[in-house]
Amino acid sequence: MQSFQQDCVELAFRRFRRGEVDRRTLLAGLAALGVGSFVGGEAQAQAARKLVMVNWGGLANQGFGNFYGAPFVAANPGWTVEQDSTGPSAGRIRSMVESGRVTWDMCDSSASSSFLLGRQNLLTKIDYSIVKKEDTLPVGFALEYGAAPYSFSSVLCYDSAKFPNGGPTSWKDFYDLQKFPGTRLMRRDALATLDAAQMALGKDPAHLYPLDIDATVRKAASLRRNAVFWNSGSESEQFLRTGEAVMGMVWHTRATVLERETNGRIKFLWPQGLLQAGIMVIPRGNPGGEGAQRLLASMLHNPEPQVGLLQLLGNGPTNPRAAAMVPEELRRKNPTDPENERVQVVMDGEWWGANYQQANADYIDAITG
Amino acid sequence: MSSVGRPGIGWWLLILPAFALLLVFYIAPIVQVLTISVTEPSLGFGNYQRILTSSAVQRVIMTTLRICLITTVLALLLGYAIAYAITLASPRARGWWVLAVLVPLWISVLVRAFAWVTLLRRQGLINNTLIEAGVITDPLPLVWNEFGIVVGMVHYMVPFAVLPMLSSMREIDPRLLAAARGLGASRGEVFRHVFLPLSLPGVIAAAVLVFIFTLGFYITPAILGGGKTLMVAEWISLQILDLIRWGLGTMMATVLVLAILVTLAVFSRVVDLRRIFGAGA
Repeated sequence: MQSFQQDCVELAFRRFRRGEVDRRTLLAGLAALGVGSFVGGEAQAQAARKLVMVNWGGLANQGFGNFYGAPFVAANPGWTVEQDSTGPSAGRIRSMVESGRVTWDMCDSSASSSFLLGRQNLLTKIDYSIVKKEDTLPVGFALEYGAAPYSFSSVLCYDSAKFPNGGPTSWKDFYDLQKFPGTRLMRRDALATLDAAQMALGKDPAHLYPLDIDATVRKAASLRRNAVFWNSGSESEQFLRTGEAVMGMVWHTRATVLERETNGRIKFLWPQGLLQAGIMVIPRGNPGGEGAQRLLASMLHNPEPQVGLLQLLGNGPTNPRAAAMVPEELRRKNPTDPENERVQVVMDGEWWGANYQQANADYIDAITG
Repeated sequence: MSSVGRPGIGWWLLILPAFALLLVFYIAPIVQVLTISVTEPSLGFGNYQRILTSSAVQRVIMTTLRICLITTVLALLLGYAIAYAITLASPRARGWWVLAVLVPLWISVLVRAFAWVTLLRRQGLINNTLIEAGVITDPLPLVWNEFGIVVGMVHYMVPFAVLPMLSSMREIDPRLLAAARGLGASRGEVFRHVFLPLSLPGVIAAAVLVFIFTLGFYITPAILGGGKTLMVAEWISLQILDLIRWGLGTMMATVLVLAILVTLAVFSRVVDLRRIFGAGA
C-alpha cells in the first residue's frame, strides 16, 4: 500500500521533469517532506550527534535542502540530520524496535499508526514541554505519540463531463448510483472511506465519531460491483483521467493536479473532505534521544517551509500562522486554509488508532469477497 | 546416478560451506519468522484455527486456489499446443519458435501487467475496436476483475508450461509415431494412443511448476484486479506491513510454504522432479 508521503515525492518529480517547478523548489520541497540529506559541511565536522529521519521517498539521497533540517541544525550546533528512505510502515517500525537495534529517530507515519504502535509500547511519547502544542492548529495535529508538520485531505473528485446536469455535492450523492450512474473509485483502505460512508448514511458530520464499523463497511461494500479500488496515488489519478471511474475519493494533491490538467473538467469538493494529520513518530529507544523531540519542535514551529511544501506538493501547513502567508492563488489548494478547513471534517485519529486493525480487515474482506 | 556411485566424504565437504551459509542466513531466519505464527498473539495454534473458523482466511485461500487452478489449466492447454507445434517443426523454425516463447519471459512482469491494462481497460484497444466495429455498445468488463488477473497470469505462465513439455516431447522417438502410422493408425489415433501418453510426464512436470509459481503471484493480481481480488501473497504483506497482525501473516506464509512442499512431495512420486528444474532432460 503506497502512503501519502510516497505519492507526494512521485508528484514532485513529475512536476520537475515537466519543468513546472525548478530544481531549487524541488529540492526545498523534498527537504520539507523529509526526503533529502542535510549533512552540511560545518555540521559534519562536529558530527557528534546525528538524527535519522525516515521517509517514503525512493530518491532520498538526491534530495537536498534545508526547510526542516537547516533551521534545526543552525539552532543546535553539533547535530546533523540524515535521511533514510526505507518507508517506515508500522510493521517495519515494530520489527526495528523489537530487534533492539533502533537506528531511526523520526518516522513519517500516520495518526492511526501512532496510536497502534504507541499502544504496543513501540514509540516514545511526544514531550510537549519541548514540542509546542500551540504551533499546530487545534484539530488533532498534536497527539500523544506523534505530531504533524503537514496535513492532507481525502476529497470527492468527479468528472463533470459525465454529469451535464450538475455533479455530486456530498458523499450521499457518491453512493447514489441511480442519480449519478458510473464506476466509483475508492481507496483500498478503510481510513477516510468509512468516514465518508458514515456521512452517506446520514450521520451529522459534526458528530461523526464513533463510526459504526458494521454499517459503514456494509455501505462501502454495496458499491463493490460498481467500483475500482486504488492502492497508490498515481493509480487513483489514472483511473479518473482515463475515464475508468466517473467519481472517486482521492487525496487532495491528486485532485488539484487533475483539476488543473483537465482545465476544470475534473472537479473536486472541499465540503465533507476528510482532513488528516501527517504524523511524525519517534520509535522507542531512538539513538538521538531527546534531539528528535527538538527536531520535531523545529519542524512545527517554522511556518515558512510548510508554505514552501504547499507550493510544491500541496501538503497543508499545520502551523496556525502559515495560512496567512499562503499566496492568494494557492489558497484554493490548501487543506488548512480557513475557508477550506471550515467545510471539511477532521478525521478522529484516536478513534482510528483504536479501531483501524479491525475496521480495515473487515473492509478489505468485504470488498474482496 | 548409479554410474556416479556413492558420494564420498570429500563431496560432502565441498557443499558444506554453501549449506552452512544457507542454514544460518536463510533457513534459520525463515523458521524464526514462521515461528511467530504459533507465539502471537498467544502461544498455541489459534492462528491456524482460523483456517477453519474465519471466512475471510478461507476466502483468500479459495480465491487463490481457484485462480491458480484456472491459470494452470489454461497455461497447460496453450502451452501444450505450442510445445507440440515446436516439436513437429523443422529444426530451423524450431529455433525461432523457442525464441518467441522465451522473449516474453524476459520482459518485466510489471511491464506486461500494464500492457494488459492498456489493452483491456474500458477505453482500451480491444473495447474501442469492438465499439467502433459496432459489435458492442458498452465496454466489456475485461479488467479490474478475476478475468483480467487470469489473462495476465496465463500470459506470464505459458513459457513455464512450454519448456518442460517441450523437453519431454523431444525425448519421444519419432520412429514410434511413424511405426504407428505404418500399422494403420490415423493421425488422431497416433496422437491419442502414442504421443499424448508419452508426453504426460512433461505435462505433469509443467503443471507442478506452473501451479507452484502462481501460488505466490503478487504484482499481476495487484495491478489487474482493481483492488477487488486478494491472493495470499498480497494478503500476507497486508497483515505484516499495514495491519501488524504478524501471527496471522506468518500463519498464512507457513501454510503457503507447506502447500508448496506437499505439492512437490506428492508429485515427486509421479514425476522426475529434476526435470522440472531443468536437470535430467
